[in-house]
Amino acid sequence: MKNILLELKDISYVKEKNLILNKINFKINSGDKIALLGKSGSGKTTLISILNGTIKPTKGEVKYFNKRYKELDVNQKQKITTIWQDLRLIEGLSAEQNVNCGLLGKRSFYFAFKNLLNIASFKRAHKYMQSCKIPQSIYSKEINKLSGGEKQRVAIARSLIQESEILLADEPFNNLDPKLITLIKKLLLTHENKNNIQTPSTGLVSLHRLDLLDGFNRVLGIKDGEIFFNLERIKLKKSHLDEIY
Amino acid sequence: MRKLKLNHTSISFLPIIVCIPLAYQILINFHFGGFELFQEFIISAFNPEINNEIIITVFKRLNQTLVIALFSWLISIIFGVIFGILSSNIFYKIFNIPVFFYNIIKFFLTIIRSIHEIIWGLVLMQIYGINFSIGIIAICIPYIAVNSKVFAEQLETIEDKSFDAINQIHGPKFSSFLTLIWNRIVNTFKNFGLYRLECAIRSTVMLGLFGIGGLGTSILLSFQTLNFRELWTYLWSLAILIILSREIIKKIKFNNLNKNLSILLTAVFFTTILFTFSYFLYFIFNSSSVDFYSINSLFKSSSDLVFLDFLKLIIDTIILSLLSTAIAISLPPFVIGIFNNNTSRIPIRFLAFLLRLIPPPVLILTLLTFNNPSLSLAALTLGLHNAGITSKLLFTNLDSQDKRNYIAMKSLGASKNTSWLLGLFSQQAKSYLAYCAYRSDIIIRETAIVGVIGSVGLGSQLQESLSSFAWQEVITVLIAYSIIAIVGELINGKIKTSLT
Repeated sequence: MKNILLELKDISYVKEKNLILNKINFKINSGDKIALLGKSGSGKTTLISILNGTIKPTKGEVKYFNKRYKELDVNQKQKITTIWQDLRLIEGLSAEQNVNCGLLGKRSFYFAFKNLLNIASFKRAHKYMQSCKIPQSIYSKEINKLSGGEKQRVAIARSLIQESEILLADEPFNNLDPKLITLIKKLLLTHENKNNIQTPSTGLVSLHRLDLLDGFNRVLGIKDGEIFFNLERIKLKKSHLDEIY
Repeated sequence: MRKLKLNHTSISFLPIIVCIPLAYQILINFHFGGFELFQEFIISAFNPEINNEIIITVFKRLNQTLVIALFSWLISIIFGVIFGILSSNIFYKIFNIPVFFYNIIKFFLTIIRSIHEIIWGLVLMQIYGINFSIGIIAICIPYIAVNSKVFAEQLETIEDKSFDAINQIHGPKFSSFLTLIWNRIVNTFKNFGLYRLECAIRSTVMLGLFGIGGLGTSILLSFQTLNFRELWTYLWSLAILIILSREIIKKIKFNNLNKNLSILLTAVFFTTILFTFSYFLYFIFNSSSVDFYSINSLFKSSSDLVFLDFLKLIIDTIILSLLSTAIAISLPPFVIGIFNNNTSRIPIRFLAFLLRLIPPPVLILTLLTFNNPSLSLAALTLGLHNAGITSKLLFTNLDSQDKRNYIAMKSLGASKNTSWLLGLFSQQAKSYLAYCAYRSDIIIRETAIVGVIGSVGLGSQLQESLSSFAWQEVITVLIAYSIIAIVGELINGKIKTSLT
């Protein structure tokens, strides 16, 4: 039997009198690679924010490793990492400083201070940046001076350096060219410990492009805040997609 | 009939109409008694006294001024950052501290900010006597509060999204907090904090005029002995000091901090905090015997303030603020707009520089050589001094502005002045007015300076009450000042919000 990492039970979320999510139920098992499909505004980002504990659902219960969010200790909370759609990088810091921010959970305050003063070690950050194909020439460049694709990869590197078990990614392939998409997708979905780089074993990735479904084992379809289908990828048919798009 | 519709451009010019009643009253009060003195004052500007003796004195006075200004600046910046953090909502959000403390700290800072450093200086000098440290403390009290407000405002622009993203990493709270605020603090320090050194120099000179020492005291003594050549030697040395400090600051870059510089800055930070605390404790305990006697007299003293007279002083102070603000807003665009050519710009810039350079107390004393003391004269003094400051901003913004609209207007056949107004100034008007709203906060506080010297409004009452040790009256005047400044700040805050 597979180990359940995350579980949503009857989740509803209301914001400013608008029902954003309606009675959502699903589980994420260890090793799952789930593609979350749905139109813009269907509730994908809200669902990811509920899954990572940023927002509390109006109704229902979320279980993380069989516990409620409040009951988790810091180590358990650190097992979840998020790649945000709007990246949320820290302006004014360099690319490598931003990636190092991903280590805040595992390091002391002294490390955070040294990172801001630009005198911390960037060895680990550089490894992850390298794996995301970030050119060395931009490591020390300020984040505002990077292109959209470069920023995207910095955000991915920051998330991966956390070495979490579960990855929640909100449209992580935005701004990337086809070659980079293939590479980054492989990096996010293949759980392996190569060159001292550890990638998450479980993931939920929201997508818009259907040609990227290869590599996922399950597909979740969401429309108007409701789950329309939750099935194995190989069982996905055109009719399913017609329902949500 | 069509309704009159005001836009930002017309609002910038409209206040100039206050010059009509002001000019009328100044003409009525005009006398030729000290006109020769005024002439001598002007001529001396181009012929300052230069000899060995005065150069040595200038260096001594500059040294004193710089020491007070540097210490005040450093302490007020560091504590400004600390209180800025304590009065920003992000601090309470990350550490889950009740908002009650946030409100208390904000209120406390608003109160101490509302009183000008000159008033703090006068009150502290009366309690503790003339002392080098009083200058630093008097500047630091309102400066810490002003700096903390600016830092807090910047910290409050940190988006919830960034907060969530860093919070999600689940690092130690101090690490997340520092990472979130670092860039805002460094940028605010670069854009605002460094400029505060110039303000601290000006404030030190101003306090010197009230006896604290340094360049200001020498300026006052030269004025009292009507030695204008000597006075201008001090004023020009002040100008050199300000320009030098500005140029040095421009050269400082924080982008590539190496390890040693980082350690040095951290050491300066903690040493200053430690030094300030130790000195503060020493100051309090060392001079306790004298002070408590004075503070006790607060409860023994009586107040002879008559309600209606006091009300008149309050109204005078408000009118003084309004008139000065009106001049500071509308005079620069009016003058620059009329004399809109390259030749006129140089004398206008020079005049604006002089108005910024000459401390308002010296300016009002100079104007008093040919005019009787009046509210109009005080308003003109404060208005002109601040117009010097607003014009600097206007010139800087106009210089960096895209000239395409101006060229387009001229190609349509519009005159040079009309093209300037519609093609250049109209695009600046909104941001210019927003800055003037901020400047108005400062003008309200500065009414105290011209009030004390020019016998107008609450400032004159404060001087009188302080001289007679009527502490109850002093407290009443301070409360009135504080209320006017806080109400003004609230109104200006609304105006700024609507303009930005």
